Amino acid sequence: MPEFEDELVRRVAAELKRPAALDPALDARIMAEVRAHARRPRLWLLRPHTFRVTPLGILARAAALAAIVAGATLAVSRLRPGEAVVSTASAPEALTASAVPFVLYAPRARSVALVGDFNNWDTRATPLRRTGASGAWVVTVPLPPGRYRYAFLIDGTRWLADPGAPRAPDDDFGTPNSVLTVGT
Amino acid sequence: MGHTGTEGDSDAALVRRVLAGDVEAYAGLVARYRDRLGRFALHRLGNQADAEDAVQEAFVRAYRGLEGCEAPERFGAWLFQILVNRCRTIGGQRARRERVATANEAALLVADMAHPADRQAWGEAIRWALDRLTPEQREAFLLKHVEDLSYEQMAEMTGEGISALKMRVKRACEALRVLLTEVERA
Repeated sequence: MPEFEDELVRRVAAELKRPAALDPALDARIMAEVRAHARRPRLWLLRPHTFRVTPLGILARAAALAAIVAGATLAVSRLRPGEAVVSTASAPEALTASAVPFVLYAPRARSVALVGDFNNWDTRATPLRRTGASGAWVVTVPLPPGRYRYAFLIDGTRWLADPGAPRAPDDDFGTPNSVLTVGT
Repeated sequence: MGHTGTEGDSDAALVRRVLAGDVEAYAGLVARYRDRLGRFALHRLGNQADAEDAVQEAFVRAYRGLEGCEAPERFGAWLFQILVNRCRTIGGQRARRERVATANEAALLVADMAHPADRQAWGEAIRWALDRLTPEQREAFLLKHVEDLSYEQMAEMTGEGISALKMRVKRACEALRVLLTEVERA
């Protein structure tokens, strides 16, 4: 009986191993969708800088964040419209929760989005939220420990590296980006 | 062909090209794996439209998550794992939807399977029987006997225990034996 069963399984498997007749246009459909999700060319990803989030760094950056927000609030009336941009990304919860706040000070912006390899550079995936009248935009993104490249998109058209992070060198097109490393 | 120049490249080389921004290199991976994925999805889901949806979704998800492919030289296994999961999801979502009949069952039962000329009926009988397995048995049978994976590979791919997978394959074989023996006796 096992012999019969083995033979039956062999015959069934042989039949099922025959090529399936798929739509010849399937490859084209797949590639059309892939192209629609195509990665943004590395226009501004050349030799990015990294800053590491460490326990001491967290404290320093938290203090810097407080100073930036306080200073920005005081200075907002003296800024020329649309000119001043201050931001930071920090990871105060990285030791426990990996919730990373991103802050951009852009009082003239109508919209700000966060784009990075953690959201496939999707310009609609992670919008920042304006906080009151101070001109600060914020969003908190849960990120596991790792290294991430990111930038901000202002008003859907202007790409900007995080001014609160060490500046990455410009690439061939003069548009730098930032790199964040979330520690454990 | 849109993937000219990819035929001689390894999976890892193509993955690197795609990650570097050469989206057209992905067509080489599509051409390389579409038949294997399509065959599994077709038998697993039981109809062509669902199978092609699953294959398309698997390729697109793999592309979008390509940076998470930790071993580009094993892209095929990684992609296949995505497909298995897509088939589970799609199969679950559409389990109650009317399946496309694979054959007229009455006709199958009178088919003379001893005649090689009736091979088409034999193929339909197999698909008919396969459709009567549980989704878990069908998946396990296909991975073991059609994709020729080891139980260790199956466990890694599905997240199931090896003993559970062995039991599913055993039950699937038993069920197929009963179902197809009836067909052959008719």
